[in-house]
Amino acid sequence: MGDELQSADAGEALAEIQNRQRQVIDLAMVPHWYWWAVGALMVVLAVGVDTRTPAAIGATVPVFVVGLLSATGVVIRAQFRDAQLRKGLLDGSGVLAILSFVAVIIGISLGTAFALRAAGVSYPATLGCLVGGLLMGLGGPILMRGLRQIMLRNRVGSPR
Amino acid sequence: MTAGRFDELIHAPTRLAIVSLLAASEWADFKFIRDTVGLSDSALSKQLATLEQADYVEIRRGFVGKRPRTSARLTSAGRAAFEQHVRALQEMVARSGVSIVPR
Repeated sequence: MGDELQSADAGEALAEIQNRQRQVIDLAMVPHWYWWAVGALMVVLAVGVDTRTPAAIGATVPVFVVGLLSATGVVIRAQFRDAQLRKGLLDGSGVLAILSFVAVIIGISLGTAFALRAAGVSYPATLGCLVGGLLMGLGGPILMRGLRQIMLRNRVGSPR
Repeated sequence: MTAGRFDELIHAPTRLAIVSLLAASEWADFKFIRDTVGLSDSALSKQLATLEQADYVEIRRGFVGKRPRTSARLTSAGRAAFEQHVRALQEMVARSGVSIVPR
């Protein structure tokens, strides 16, 4: 009887340990709006590139830079306000997932833009970045879910 | 892999919650721990002091701008003790055959 109580208590303690670590991991999740904001900023920058006038480039580049820095600043500030995630939680597979995501977005945006330009379509960079921006908005949360799973797998006491 | 060692100090429910939060972080803000675990300022201070006396936790007091900010982190001894405690719990569960479903 004593052993049964002890093992049940141990089971509850392990569930509590995993739940508390999950609460910290969830702090590190980038909000959905961020991915859509970056996607929209890519399109704004591309409009300036396609328009090819100094005024358009002069207007869109600052919007892109300030917008990106502001959005990233808000996200980082929110993430570091409460706790800093332990470094070992995000292993090599997480870093590879992030780099692959960026490579796919850039590759599809550029590939689409060059293909459209070769086909003589107007505003190829804008359309290319529109596709990339949509992928960013839709794919960002999927990337976050994947990174969350990796970190949950790497928490102390997690079943491997 | 570290051997299991049940730690009575860590296993107390409130301290288990605090140490578990700290185990997933490099450091955590006092207010975040307080609100997440659901403690008063004085209750959390008392629990952190107990963990600090055991050399499991390091408390940092500083300022962000003009605002005072207190944060806590697990020491290497605290992290090792926590990992050994988790291993001991896992061994107890494995012996009983109970399965753990993480939330």
